Amino acid sequence: MKLRQIHLLGIGCVAAATAFAGQTSVAAAQDVPVWHSYTYEAQAETMRELIASFVAEHSGVTIDETVRSFDDLSLTLRLALQAGNGPMVTQVNQGAKDMGTMAQAGLLIPLDDYAAKFGWGAGQSAGIIDRGRWSESGQFGEGPNYGISSLGEIVGLYYNEKVLEDAGVALPIENFQGFLDALEKVKAAGVTPIAMGTASGNLPLHLYSALAQSQVDAADRGALDDLIYGRGGDFKTEANMTAAKFLQEWSKNDYLLSGFSGISGDDAVQLFTAGQAAFLTGGSWYFGDVQNNADIHFMPFPAPEGVSHPLSVGGVDMGWTITSLAKSQAEKDLGAEFIQHVVSPAAAVVWARHGYLPATSLPKESDVELSGLLKEAIVIWDDLNANNALGHYIDWASPTMLKTVQDNIVLLMAGRQSPEEFVGKLDADYQAFLATK
Amino acid sequence: MTKSPLDGRPLANLLFLLPSLIIYVAFIFGPIVVAVGLSFTDWNGLGRPVFVGIANYTALFRDPDFLTAMKNNAVLMIFYCLVPLALGMVLASVVSAVPPRERLAVRTLLFLPYIMPSAVIGIVWRWLYNPLFGPINQGLKAVGLGALALPWLGDFTWALPAVGFVVVWYYFGFCMVIFMTGLQRLDPSLYEASRIDGAGPVYTFRRITFPLLLPEVRIVLLLTIIASIKSFDLIFTMTRGGPANATLVPNIYMYEMGFQLSRFGYAAAVAVFGAAAIFAVNYAVHRAINPKDGV
Repeated sequence: MKLRQIHLLGIGCVAAATAFAGQTSVAAAQDVPVWHSYTYEAQAETMRELIASFVAEHSGVTIDETVRSFDDLSLTLRLALQAGNGPMVTQVNQGAKDMGTMAQAGLLIPLDDYAAKFGWGAGQSAGIIDRGRWSESGQFGEGPNYGISSLGEIVGLYYNEKVLEDAGVALPIENFQGFLDALEKVKAAGVTPIAMGTASGNLPLHLYSALAQSQVDAADRGALDDLIYGRGGDFKTEANMTAAKFLQEWSKNDYLLSGFSGISGDDAVQLFTAGQAAFLTGGSWYFGDVQNNADIHFMPFPAPEGVSHPLSVGGVDMGWTITSLAKSQAEKDLGAEFIQHVVSPAAAVVWARHGYLPATSLPKESDVELSGLLKEAIVIWDDLNANNALGHYIDWASPTMLKTVQDNIVLLMAGRQSPEEFVGKLDADYQAFLATK
Repeated sequence: MTKSPLDGRPLANLLFLLPSLIIYVAFIFGPIVVAVGLSFTDWNGLGRPVFVGIANYTALFRDPDFLTAMKNNAVLMIFYCLVPLALGMVLASVVSAVPPRERLAVRTLLFLPYIMPSAVIGIVWRWLYNPLFGPINQGLKAVGLGALALPWLGDFTWALPAVGFVVVWYYFGFCMVIFMTGLQRLDPSLYEASRIDGAGPVYTFRRITFPLLLPEVRIVLLLTIIASIKSFDLIFTMTRGGPANATLVPNIYMYEMGFQLSRFGYAAAVAVFGAAAIFAVNYAVHRAINPKDGV
């Protein structure tokens, strides 16, 4: 080949490469990196459906989806945002450790204007929206909102109707005393009353919290709100002490699965689904697992008599937010449209169809076929929101509270710590956190 | 006479080293320097680290959880180092006596655990130890030993030994192979002479085999001590350091501090301390075990 031809060929290649790079960089402007933690099969399927419909409605836009477990998302998000190569839209865990710290560092964008535009949070109690608020001074529960969620969460009492009927338990269980009576009857029938596994997961935390907060009326929720939002207070309450005593008593007296300290939370849920226990206290995120057994139902954790609107631990799942990596107004608007797409009433129908409790109310005219568990949960959700009776995850109280609970609750259940000592440890953690504010 | 490249100008030779040097600095030396620097700061992963001097190190030695982790690591060294070493040495002697054709099969079978990913082993053994449906407890109940069917990984007393048992199972094959290599190096005439002189097997092992295997003993100790102080994935997948820190080791504590509590400066101090501990313990082994042949 002559030299001139070689030169022309080289110039042609460079021109083609430049044109291709130009095409690629134009396409990249419409890429929206999205991170989320919907790893369960049915959740992932729902997200695939929602993303496909979003892309179909927004030509030229592609969603660069990254799915991480709850722990992995928490681990990697802040470092990725700090390095400038993370998502534009992401789920982020509420609480000081993640949302609070990142909001204060300017890595998240306030969503109040978009919330007003799209009507986010309509139908939810004000308490729910406040869980995504962080003020400039770092006060939780106040200031701009940084996260809006797709799913509602309720920690309640799963029960196996057949196991209870076989043990002679009359349904429905009306109150806490009725629950205690049911435990005795189930134990006498030779069945494990409560499914539990403490080797991993947070089943003991949820049982403890449900026991404690069901004793608190929504009208008296102020002290709990102050505790979780870091406004003061202490953990040494009668409700917390009573809950610790019951948890220890049930652990010592064989009310829990045999060998529960060596069983993981997920295994305990599977054992419950297989009919190995009568009750399980856990979150509505287990619907996808337990719905395989048609005998399993869901109810609020039974409250003592005299508590009219008992709190149920719960709230919403991780909040969707727009990060500081959305630089232009167009990118922020696109991010907000994506969030709207996964939290809207139309999205609620999609979530419900897959068996999940949407945080947004279902449209009245929707004819989606709901699973039995979901029908029960929606009634509970609407009631809890109407009465502002959604409680809190106590590990939100401080950045180290989850570790403190996990380390000490197994000691309480093994009888190596008294209820007073256990509650004292939680309070010490909280007071140490308050001292740093 | 052809000149050796080693006689060339150092600068020219450095050019050939540069690619490896860049990779080493970028992925090994650089992060180590950053970690050491970070260990003198308070940093939550956002914004600028704040210099705090040696506060992280002084806090370490007052931290009850860190001291628990160190104690657990010291106990685990028995399972990482001493038991596999003893078992490996015994098995090396036994397997070396097996006919060659069968020896290959036996050696491969015993070495198999070591080639499996340790995280996978942790998950499998967690299932084996499951108190309700794990085969270990099912087997104990089947032979009338139900009283021994404990929640192994959830028991405050037995969780650490249960993890240690898995560690022994993982490392003994590796130690055996190292000692088998060493045995091949030994002069058979020494054993003939000792047999003629009437030496029994125990005496022969004590006065001939063991002293001549000191180079391998040192290598095994060095490698298993490093593995012990670096332990993370096997224990993390089995117990995550629980129950209530009963199986917590420094690397899991570092993970908790850094990635769960976002105390990256403090976590870096734990990491630096662990690295220093590896150097210190290995130096002690080098000084204590000094084979006469200078290997």
